[in-house]
Amino acid sequence: MNTNLKISNVTKIYPGCIANDNVSLEFNSGKIYALLGENGAGKSTLVKILSGVIIPDEGKIYLNENNLKLNSPLDAKKNDIGMVFQHFNLFETLSVFENLIIDSDEQRESLREKIDTIMKKYNFSIDLDIPILNLSAGQKQKVEIIRCLIRNPKVLIMDEPTSVLTEQETSELFLSLKKFSEEGILIIYITHKLKEVMQLCDEVAVMRRGKLVSVSEIKNENIESLANKMVGQNLKTIKKKKAKTSSDQLIKITNLNFTSEDPFETNLMDINFSVNRGECLGIAGISGNGQSELFQVLSGEIISEKNSIEFNNNYIGDLSPQERREYLMAFSPEDRLEQAAIPQMKIFENVALNNFKSSNFFNNGLINENKIKEHSKKIISDFNVNTDNIELKSQFLSGGNLQKLIIGRELITSPDLLICFNPTWGLDVGAINYIHETLIKINEQNKSIILISTDTDELLKLSDKISVIHKGKLSKIMNAEEVTSEKLGILMGGAN
Amino acid sequence: MIIDINFIGLIIASIMASAVPLILASCGELITERSGVLNLGVEGMMIIGAISGFALMTVTGSLIIAVFGAMLAGVLISTIFAFLTQTLITNHVATGLALTIFGIGISAMIGKNFVGIPGKEFPVFFEGLKDTIPLLGPILFGHSIVFYFAFALPFVTSYFLKKTKIGLIVRAVGDSPESASNQGINVKLVRYACILYGGAMSGLAGAYLSMIYTPQWIENMTGGRGWIALALVVFSTWNPIKILIGAMIFGGLTIIQFHMQAIGVRIPVQFLTALPYIVTIIVLVVISRDSRKIRLSTPSSLGKSFHKDN
Repeated sequence: MNTNLKISNVTKIYPGCIANDNVSLEFNSGKIYALLGENGAGKSTLVKILSGVIIPDEGKIYLNENNLKLNSPLDAKKNDIGMVFQHFNLFETLSVFENLIIDSDEQRESLREKIDTIMKKYNFSIDLDIPILNLSAGQKQKVEIIRCLIRNPKVLIMDEPTSVLTEQETSELFLSLKKFSEEGILIIYITHKLKEVMQLCDEVAVMRRGKLVSVSEIKNENIESLANKMVGQNLKTIKKKKAKTSSDQLIKITNLNFTSEDPFETNLMDINFSVNRGECLGIAGISGNGQSELFQVLSGEIISEKNSIEFNNNYIGDLSPQERREYLMAFSPEDRLEQAAIPQMKIFENVALNNFKSSNFFNNGLINENKIKEHSKKIISDFNVNTDNIELKSQFLSGGNLQKLIIGRELITSPDLLICFNPTWGLDVGAINYIHETLIKINEQNKSIILISTDTDELLKLSDKISVIHKGKLSKIMNAEEVTSEKLGILMGGAN
Repeated sequence: MIIDINFIGLIIASIMASAVPLILASCGELITERSGVLNLGVEGMMIIGAISGFALMTVTGSLIIAVFGAMLAGVLISTIFAFLTQTLITNHVATGLALTIFGIGISAMIGKNFVGIPGKEFPVFFEGLKDTIPLLGPILFGHSIVFYFAFALPFVTSYFLKKTKIGLIVRAVGDSPESASNQGINVKLVRYACILYGGAMSGLAGAYLSMIYTPQWIENMTGGRGWIALALVVFSTWNPIKILIGAMIFGGLTIIQFHMQAIGVRIPVQFLTALPYIVTIIVLVVISRDSRKIRLSTPSSLGKSFHKDN
């Protein structure tokens, strides 16, 4: 049977922002639809309305001509609308099976059989009796998909599903989605990644600032046309110039090991690498393979042996982050709101945080607010942070602006080495472009970067050398020109 | 000195009796905490249960009304906590502490008229069988219904959490209220229910103290047992069976140190009084140090307010 889903004049207003402005869309089964837009364009709000998580202020939803009342996620489930959220809705400490049975009315045995059938059909293999926290991101997503499939959905909504997946996992996901679509499930695919839209979808709807901008067939579009619709202006493509090879070594890591007491962390084994001045070393890998441990060891959050890290001819393995900063290292951690900035503190207060000693921010233990504010204003204008209110609490900055502020805060002291971890995670195209340009500029000034990232495209674009981390071990270091994303994907999966 | 084997049985029985209120309150609080709510008001709810039970018994003369009335009193006072933390989204820690202070104060006020009134005898079961089996007789027989209920409770609680659908939902809410809410689970309802259940169990624990264990009303008679119950929950890593072990060790050492003081063992009294607290915590820490299991059984959202945004 054909499924027809209609969104009619949906509006959702939050204080100070119109998340959805009179949006109308129609979907039919048999096709895969892309809902494309930057962060904050309103696509997540729209699909949350479809899945009953958010109740719209105005507008109606029709499924096969029936007006749906979606007041809770249960209503969406009852009406055969399944959704896989961007941030997984799983219970980490419960087993896979417990996660699946919790919203099912079936008996244990019959549910197990049903799950086995689904897994066989789509070639999934997941141990049902281990806790979720032992699964990789790709496996977790499969659990979410199975959860939807158990209910034989008519509509399956995927919200930014590939942000945590590897290349291989992504192509596996695409195969499954195409199979679902052939079987008559209507697929709505939310993303800001243009390449995926071109690869997977049949039709694309673009949203910008809460409004629907265009609906068109993929065959009439290309990456540039979609990008321009999405951003609303013409984007320039950035490319890194081939850096002149320098042999001036800046940092050298020798036989670095880290054994964690937490069984859910990854141990680092025998890490060796070096970075020259003006170079960008990219470290690829599926998240959870030791990246955050490696970042912490490099930044000094985890102290290691003194001789294992040599920076500018000093042994600094046993120094704290603050001491390392004095040797002109700078850090941009993965979690912007938890590790890089304190959400409840104002912008200028956050700016002061990484600059205790070398600055003149403090006089005799008192805060010199004017100095800090001056300094913050300089960062905001130099690094294009889109606000003029430095008294704003950091939690109210968008991800892109916060990242610019953090990178700006780190760079304004002109460090010799910047270590960053997923600097563009979850950012929109405009902000990503800006961050990438900034990182390229650093290299051009003969300063170095260690870029730990799960985004292969980003690594290929910015790195001079690339290594892959898998289960806490680094692969050999390769020149970026010799590497393709396929090759990285294979190494990220653990093969040689 | 000849030690009668039944005398040992009696000592063990008295240890078990002293463990009863700890088991009841801990198992109740365990369910509350498993749903992600940290209610530090156990001491307050217990003492409210104690005075309510004793007062109702004195006024109505009915033990059944008194016991259920004490549980209801626990439910009512925990409703205040639930309303504040779940509906008005107040801080769990501060609200729980306020609840304890409130409970101690109001129980003292109500209790003024009940000081010095003798309690009633509470019926016990299988009294006649006590002497039929050596050692085990006094342990197994001749106890109140609340006693048997308390010793069944950890096993029932464990089964409830592991094997039943509702138990699974409680654990899920404690793990991630956001995910639970997105799955269509009514997080507030689950948390309300768990808080009220915790209140009922604390109320029952209090009633046991004032009606069965020492049948009389003394101001502040819970004497910190509520805090011990809270500590048991945490140090048992939210495992009901370990709560049982912890409560027995604590009860045991409390009784034994009394006997040691009575015999006149030359150890400072202060040390003896502190002994149950120290040993219970050390034992529970030692039997619960598997960090993987801790991670799996700790409610990740414990003490964090959940607010659903629309």
